[in-house]
Amino acid sequence: MVEFGLLIVVFVLPASLSLKGKGAVRGVMAPAERGTSGLGQRFSEAASAIRGIGGAVEKNRELAHEMVRIQTELNQLRDVEAENLRLRRAFRFHHQTPFSMIPCDVISRNISGWWNSVRIGKGSADGIRENHAVISPDGLVGKTTEVSKRSSEVLLVCDPACRVSAKIERAGAFGLLRGGGVDFRGHPTARMDFIDKDTEVRAGDEVVTSGLSGEGGVFPKGVHIGYIEKVHQDASGLFQYAEIAPGATVSLLDYLFVVSQAVPEEKP
Amino acid sequence: MMARILMLGGIALGALVQAFLPTWPVFGGIKPPVLAAFALYYALHRSPRGMWIAVFWAALLSDGLDLGGFGPALIAFPIIGTLAHRVRLEIFVDGAVAQMAFGALGAMVAMLIATVVYTATGQRPFDFGYTLLRLVGAGLLGMATLPLVSLSMNKLETALPKHRGHGWQ
Repeated sequence: MVEFGLLIVVFVLPASLSLKGKGAVRGVMAPAERGTSGLGQRFSEAASAIRGIGGAVEKNRELAHEMVRIQTELNQLRDVEAENLRLRRAFRFHHQTPFSMIPCDVISRNISGWWNSVRIGKGSADGIRENHAVISPDGLVGKTTEVSKRSSEVLLVCDPACRVSAKIERAGAFGLLRGGGVDFRGHPTARMDFIDKDTEVRAGDEVVTSGLSGEGGVFPKGVHIGYIEKVHQDASGLFQYAEIAPGATVSLLDYLFVVSQAVPEEKP
Repeated sequence: MMARILMLGGIALGALVQAFLPTWPVFGGIKPPVLAAFALYYALHRSPRGMWIAVFWAALLSDGLDLGGFGPALIAFPIIGTLAHRVRLEIFVDGAVAQMAFGALGAMVAMLIATVVYTATGQRPFDFGYTLLRLVGAGLLGMATLPLVSLSMNKLETALPKHRGHGWQ
């Protein structure tokens, strides 16, 4: 009976206390999660190194082929490098916008698989608040939610609960982007709703953040989200909606940046 | 005492392993139910008190480390734990078939309860086909997870130093 009583107490906790309880559980587990994450990275590096030793001859052959291919691509890459430098300058949010970014390590993935989320090793003590944009060099990753003192959950852009105001860069049309989960091939998907039906939208158009944000969040303008894959007419006939392939793939990243509202740094 | 520390530590380690493991779209994108397997293992091998401690700790970690409110695991784990605990004396709990059957059923019940909780509270969209895939996936993953957890915990518990009596030798 005591056990059932304890369970009922946990169920009827108000949201704030429930979050505190979760914060306590996450606080207890955070050092272990950081350790596991670090260990996982080292293990992965060691595995790569071992694979390299085992297949040295094969690797040599591959590298010889690769060198020929790279030489032919070198000239093209010089142009790309120039373009890349230009884009990098454009991408420096902390010099161009009144936002600064907090670098964070990914310490854990979602435990159940029900949510598309990751946990980062910084929380309210580091200036992170709920509904702040989380970005990577590939673009928008998601937004912060359930922030505790030392860790925060990041709801990925492909999660159905994640909604972001978005804009189609070429057409200048606005819409609401929401996650579509992960498809049967394991690829993250998203959908942009409420696009003006008279706007010409094409597959391949780039989708970026509009900068509009509700719920007291912080979302910088113009962050790459992904590209349009298909365009459909809404059932009501008033709008169009588009299927989007989110660009940022967090499974390959160990660190992310949370956009904060901190005072901007002094420009040189 | 050592067995209890091992239990709490083992479950915490199980939570880390579950979070670290990848998801497979073919199983509906869910993680192998390591924490549910720990709850089942202790329900099948411990006294009611030990079972409740294990079930509560595993559920607290499962819900505490997940998004959304406390609920799915705190409902599911006590149910599967209590049911398994009731029938543990009528079956051979360390048999491979029993382990696989309990693992599959436990994971499926936990999945079903999570689906009901998330759908009823509007936290997750409901899709019949996807739910069916997840149920089958949970069953298969649970079938593989519980025997592995049982094997590991049996080995670890056997390796613990035995308490010796102080009477006449």
